[in-house]
Amino acid sequence: MIEVHELTKRYGPVTAVDRLSFTVRPGGVTGFLGPNGAGKSTTMRAILGLDTPTSGRALVNGVAYRTIDRPLRVVGSLLDAGAVHGGRSARSHLECLAVTNDLPRSRVGEVLEMTGLSGVARKRVGGFSLGMRQRLGIAAALLGDPPILMFDEPVNGLDPEGVVWARDLMRSLAAEGRTVLVSSHLMSEMALTADHLIVIGRGALIADAGMADLLRSSSDGVLVRTPQSRRLADLLTAEGARVVAEPDGGLVVTGLTVQAVSRVAAAGGVEIHELARRQASLEEAYLRLTDTAVQYRATTPGTRGTR
Amino acid sequence: MTAHSFPPRRTALRTFLPGRGVLRSEWMKLRSVRSTYLSVLLASVLAVVLGALATSSDANEWATMSAQDRARFDPLGDSFVGLVFGELAFGVLGVMAISTEYRTGMIRATFAAVPRRGQVYAAKALVVGVVSLVLGMSLVFGTFFLGQAVLASRHLEVHLGDPSVLRVVLSTGLHLFVVTMIGFGLGALLRHSAGAIAALVAMLWLAYPLGRIFDQVSYLPSRVLLFNIADAITRTRPATGRPALRIPSLELAYTSLALYLVVFLALGALRVVRDV
Repeated sequence: MIEVHELTKRYGPVTAVDRLSFTVRPGGVTGFLGPNGAGKSTTMRAILGLDTPTSGRALVNGVAYRTIDRPLRVVGSLLDAGAVHGGRSARSHLECLAVTNDLPRSRVGEVLEMTGLSGVARKRVGGFSLGMRQRLGIAAALLGDPPILMFDEPVNGLDPEGVVWARDLMRSLAAEGRTVLVSSHLMSEMALTADHLIVIGRGALIADAGMADLLRSSSDGVLVRTPQSRRLADLLTAEGARVVAEPDGGLVVTGLTVQAVSRVAAAGGVEIHELARRQASLEEAYLRLTDTAVQYRATTPGTRGTR
Repeated sequence: MTAHSFPPRRTALRTFLPGRGVLRSEWMKLRSVRSTYLSVLLASVLAVVLGALATSSDANEWATMSAQDRARFDPLGDSFVGLVFGELAFGVLGVMAISTEYRTGMIRATFAAVPRRGQVYAAKALVVGVVSLVLGMSLVFGTFFLGQAVLASRHLEVHLGDPSVLRVVLSTGLHLFVVTMIGFGLGALLRHSAGAIAALVAMLWLAYPLGRIFDQVSYLPSRVLLFNIADAITRTRPATGRPALRIPSLELAYTSLALYLVVFLALGALRVVRDV
């Protein structure tokens, strides 16, 4: 269990995290989403006691991280895959961490095996690809066999096979009853991995909901296809719905249920080829949620003010 | 809540007293990178080779040397002539032992594993200190015996039993140790290899003319410079002329050296407990 209470972190005039509160529960994968600069990494560092909050607190299993004896046995974390000494071998790197928490050296071999790095264990980390460094970082997080795991952008730089492997690993860690917090900017990846989402923007909480709830709340009306688009649009508009034509000829209807659209079409004798509740992708849901919270937005001339 | 989540009692001792695991980790860190071996190897080769060259040239030229040159002949100083590179290499070793952890970001993984930063710092300092003391003393004694063996061909050598020779040899090793630890403190303070090495070089050698600026007012600034402290504790006979005024007494020299050690270790410690 990870609990963040009213966490605030200011760097001079910049407020990186602003009275943020959320709880990460065991038994599922919690996705931690937000645009660049939203405060995800700062929050994770505060949970690990690396950054001292300006106010508020972050607790793991009810206590502050910095008071835990042998914390690798409680929380495993991957913050930055690049943060290793390039001159050290993968095995040495892990051994240096393992001995601080009185973990047996045999455990180093185990996590190297689990992450597929056994073959390069004696190679210097400096020659590793980003994907291999991610695996090494995940190996370090697994060292203490901890009940709580935190990964900051773990699939960055992984090849497709590695992405599937990482996803399966997160899912199986959660299935074992562990608390798993994963930050990512890859929405499609999160949609496949996470059960629960915490979305932040400009350091503040935007959404804290189950994946299914979040998608349902931002699902956007009804999608209908018909050869008589014009006629159906008129009929629906007369019923008070808002109708938008999609480029592929489909109509997106808001303000009416699937049943109501079906009834209007049948009453008007309009032929229907497709009728479905339109499910927003996580990406759309996310973009809608964070729209006002994006700190660094690229503007394209001519498209400004279209939203 | 699980059993291991009870907060342990916090005492001043716990803050800085590293456990065996932390000490072992720091020892492994130092051993598992090449720069450690390179620094020590470079220091050793230069110190030994230059010391051997200097003493063999003394031995070869002794027959043709003027009385004045013979009077100035320093059998200890000449065998230690290469140790100036040893100081630099050991200082760099001290800097790198901590600055590379900040540069690579590894320090965050280290502090996540050992949240008591004071323990990490103390363990690092202890490991670097013991290594530099043991290797430094070995290097100094090795250089001493080699140089005196070369001089022995002309019966110019000195022995550890001769007045103040043992003290000077030990002080030379001690100086190497303190320079290493000043480098270590600077590395922790600046968190940046190049910056810390530049600061160390400035303190060790470039500060000499700065001290001279104050000579009109007081010789004290000159006397507490590392360069002049080293001069004071590593010479077997008193200096003469104006430079002698800049050289501190032995008491002042050893006291200042101890102060340097304490101050730079403390500055590093204060910085390390801050956020990364």
